[in-house]
This record gives sequence, C-alpha cells and structure tokens, in this order.
Amino acid sequence: MSDNGFVQYHYRDAIGGFFEFPTENARALLPQDLQPIEPHHGSSVLSVMAFDFHDSPVGSYGELILSILTAPRVEPGQPWPKSAFFPFRLATTTRESREHAIERWHLPHYMKDIDLRWDRGDGHVTIHATERGQPIVDMTVTEFEWSRVEHRYQAFMHDEEGFYSSTIVMAGQFSENEEEKGGIVIHTQAMTELLEDWELTTTPFRELWMKNGVQTFHPLQQLASYARR
Amino acid sequence: MATRVEAPASSNVLDYDYSSFFYSSSDDPFAILEPYNEWYNRAVPQGYYLFAQPMATPPAARISLEEQLHCRTVPLLNLSSYNYLGLSYRPEVIEAAKRALDRYGLGAAGSPILSGTMDIHVELEEAIARFKGKEAAMVFPTGYSTNVGMISGLMRPGDWIIADQNSHASIVDGAILSKANVRFFRHNNVADLEKKLRQTSGKKLVAIEGIYSMDGDVCPLPDIVEVCKRYGARILLDEAHSCFVYGPNGRGVAEHYGLDEEIDIHVGTFSKALGGQGGYVAGSRNLYNYLKGFARSRVFSCSLSPVVAAGVLESLSIAQREPELRDSLWTNVAHIRKRLDEEGVDVGDSTSQIFPVMIRNDRRVFEIGHKLLRAGLYLQPIIYPAVAKHRSRFRVSVSASHTFEQLDEGVSILARVLREEGIIL
Repeated sequence: MSDNGFVQYHYRDAIGGFFEFPTENARALLPQDLQPIEPHHGSSVLSVMAFDFHDSPVGSYGELILSILTAPRVEPGQPWPKSAFFPFRLATTTRESREHAIERWHLPHYMKDIDLRWDRGDGHVTIHATERGQPIVDMTVTEFEWSRVEHRYQAFMHDEEGFYSSTIVMAGQFSENEEEKGGIVIHTQAMTELLEDWELTTTPFRELWMKNGVQTFHPLQQLASYARR
Repeated sequence: MATRVEAPASSNVLDYDYSSFFYSSSDDPFAILEPYNEWYNRAVPQGYYLFAQPMATPPAARISLEEQLHCRTVPLLNLSSYNYLGLSYRPEVIEAAKRALDRYGLGAAGSPILSGTMDIHVELEEAIARFKGKEAAMVFPTGYSTNVGMISGLMRPGDWIIADQNSHASIVDGAILSKANVRFFRHNNVADLEKKLRQTSGKKLVAIEGIYSMDGDVCPLPDIVEVCKRYGARILLDEAHSCFVYGPNGRGVAEHYGLDEEIDIHVGTFSKALGGQGGYVAGSRNLYNYLKGFARSRVFSCSLSPVVAAGVLESLSIAQREPELRDSLWTNVAHIRKRLDEEGVDVGDSTSQIFPVMIRNDRRVFEIGHKLLRAGLYLQPIIYPAVAKHRSRFRVSVSASHTFEQLDEGVSILARVLREEGIIL
C-alpha cells in the first residue's frame, strides 16, 4: 500500500459534482496564494466528491469531501496537473480513516463518523450522506462515455502546523459530462454550515464518475510561502 | 448511455487546454512559458494547428488556406466566416475603401477625442444612428472594445451587472473592468435571471445577446424585457451576430420582436454581416455624450481606420438598399437546415444563420476537423473553454453569397465524414 511515501486507496466508485458559488465566499476560505478557478467572472467552483473505498491502509470506508477548485501550480520540468483542489471539509465513515487522513495528509475533517449510502441506478448514482440519521448531502451524478484514464491532480491543505500540497493520481474508468442532469441537496447540518449563505447552484455544471480505480497520494510537500489570509 | 471503455490515455495532451496553464509555481512570470510551450508544441500536431491558419483569399465561399501541419496551401469550401451578407468583398465596398485610402491615407493617426475623428467617422456614426432609429451612435475600433468601453464606462463599483452565462468575452471583460458586482444567469433562462435580479439592489444592467455565437440560438427577448422592466434594470442588447440580419429592416432581434424602444443600449459590430471591422453603441444623445468621456477603450485607442469606416459605410448602404440580401441569407439558412436535418446532423438549438455541428467529443473533434480539411471543407472546431466540456463542435456560418450547390456540397462532405467517424448513422 505504501512505498516511499506513495499511498494507494482502491475504490469501487468515486463521484463528483462541480457547483458554482460567489467567489467572495471562496476567497474567504482560500489561502492567499491560491487562486479560485472561475468558470464565469465572480463565480468559483465547489467540488463535492464521494468515495467508496474497498481497500486502503485503513481498510474499507466511505468519504465525503468538500473542496474549492483552484488553479494548479505548473512546475517547469514536471508533469502537468489536470486541475487542483483545496479541500476544506471532509468526513469519513470510520474513525481510523479520519485519524489517518488528518495525521498523514493534514486534511481538515468533520470529527464525527458519517454514513454514506450509495444508490446505483441505470446511468446514474446517488449518494446519501447522513450523521446518525440526520441528512447532510444528497447528490446525484449521471454517466457519459467511459474511458480508462490516469489523471494527475494537486491538493492543497493547511492546518495549524503548516501548508502542504500533494499530487494525487486517479486511475480507473472515467466518465465526465456537462449535461446538467445531476443535482444536489445540501441539508442544514454542522458539516455543511459553512455553505449556508453561499448562493450555491444546485445543478452541477460538471459531473464526474470513476469506477474500479485507485487513488495514489504522492509524498506530502510542505509549502513555506503560503500565508493564511 | 452504453458503457464503452477506451484504451488508457494517461498523458494525452488534449486532456489539457489553455486554461491549464494560468499559473506556475515560481515567482518568475516567465516560468509558465516553458511548460506551456512544451504542451503547445505537442498539442499542435495533434490538432491545435486547426486554429488560426492563415487564409490567402477574401473570406468568400471558396478560399485558399495555408494549412500549417503540412505547410501547403489548400483550396476549400468555406462555411466558417461571419460574412453573412457577403459584403466584405463586394466591388462597391472595395471601391469605397480605395477612395478613402486615396483621400485620408491608411490610419486616423489619433484618438477620436483628439485628432483622430475624421468626417467619415461622423458620417458613419450618423448613418448608424439613423439606421437604428436612435438619437446617436458611437463608433469603436473593434467589437470587443465596444462592450468593454460601454460597460466599464457606465457601471461602477457597487452596481450590478447581470449577464447571460454564455456572454461574449467583451461583456465579461467590460464587467470586470467596471468593478461592479457581476452575476451570470443560466443561458436564456428567464426564471434564473429573475432570481438573480431579485437578489440584488441598486443600479442594475442586464447584458444579453441577440444571437449567441456558439449555439446560434436567439435570446427570449420579450420575456427578458418584461422581467427587467419589473425590476428596474437597464438592458444592453449585443446584436453582433443579429444586426443587419434580423428584423423587417435588418435592425436586429429587437426589431424582429418589435422591442426596439424597450432596449436602453444597442450594441453591434461591423465585422460580421457588414464584413468590415469595428463596433457601435446606439442609444440616447445623453448616453453618447457621457461615453465620449468615459469609454476608455475608445478614448485611448486610435480611431477606426478611415479606410475601414468608408467600406463599412458602403456596406451599410448596400445592406439597406438591398433587402434581398437578407432574403437570400434566410433562403440559404432554410435550405441548409433542411439538408442537415435530412442527413441527421445534430445542430443543437440553433434557429439562426449559425449552426453548431455537435461532435460532443473533445479529442475526436480535431481528427474530424483534419479529415474535413482533407475532404475540402473549412470548418472551425470549437472546444472547451469556449464551450462546455464534451460539447465540442464545428460551427457552420451561412452567407447570402453561398449558392445552393455550395451548401449542398458542404453538407455532403460533412455528412460523409461524420458518418465515417460514427458521429451520425
């Protein structure tokens, strides 16, 4: 699972929806040096992702991630990242996976276990995230054409100890569309309280779905130059 | 949709685009150049050569194109140019430009507010104002600078600009430059426009377009006007692709709907149907006078070349005295629409002289474009970020100067290639 700092997490399904919201909300959360991606001037992108991991250093578990899409930092001589994320709130279904992600990757977590139910339909999948029966997020994404890919992303993290980035490579079957057939309901709940005033669109302008793949985290890098706003 | 798994494509350069190369990790602004060029030099042979290939002829129905991949000049049937009325190469237009060249020389040699206004500019502004039925019209050196100067010249920090999400970059950039608050409503969705208007207070400008150039669809103007009036929002209507084409007198979509008087700011270009260059704002004399001082993209640019101004003036005159040009255009549009429909080509929601030929595959659009070139048809691929991911397409622009035979030939080539590629059955 782990070799020279590379850590792999195998999943059955990983889905994501991209939702627009005002950039002033994004800037309030982002470290100063990170630039939000704006599909339209003044609109940033909330990425909501859910994973169904069946094999990892901490066993099987589910994960819900709220991120802001940011501009990747392209390094001369290095492979190009496809895009970049700033995860600002994650939740997992097990305590062990949560503690692992905080310690290893400095990912900011909601500190309670959640339940993640996957409803797989014909050409679509819906996740229902709850905490002790209280709904958090319901999200549906739809499929398009499938292809086998290996995509390279950047993730940026910060906590009291510092600022970090990691390259994440996602390999597996991949479907992506901007057909606007999916949707999201974000419930009033402690994990999502930040989003309450965000004027968030409820139809994803982009829907991602990956199947039977592996997520590989590259060794964490500490970034000295980032300063919290 | 059926599941289809393709071969691994881990480092396909066409997974990336211009938007992937905004920032580098270095403090040196030049650090981004190396990775960008590494990508670009790999992307060009795989398809990006289809952009910005030089034309060696007028933008007529038959052209010569300098194909960059194979370094050769190829004769092509052209369904890509905006020359909707075929005016850019009309002999009268060329003669008018030549006369202006003899009289004024090449350029205006000054800003329009200093020494760069010539009598031909005044004549053009007055002709546009008369044509649009407005008190005044202001000429800008390009269509892009028209929206940028218009919007940033009028709107201020704290104001609200509500624009269609498919707005042209000039509207977006004008809004950014104004430092006003900006919201985008879902394309042609009046309910979402109303939602955005309801959420705002203060001065409001709604910016829309007559025809949207990527989809060829027309804005639902009557409903938009009704909502804007209800919320006290001013309306800017950009008729870049619809003026001189739509309406009983060719004044545009506003005239087509009988809503000319309900639009506060009429914007248009000379580079599409009139086959020239430049843009205009038409409206009240008060608006004109104000923009004269505040439209910085005009104030700080050299005036439109008097040669172009004279050519545009003649194009405008022809467009007015030969309404049969518009009839020819719409006859051609009906003809090609029928032919495309017979061949089963997906043209999205187009109702205008612009037809998106939907490919919906961001990688294959380039190889199909190359095949079209080899077959003798010039169509431009349109990909993300100009359009949404996986809504890649070719854009067909019809002109009054096309013949039925040329349109049939174009559709035949297109249908054959799309059929060979499995895009249509």
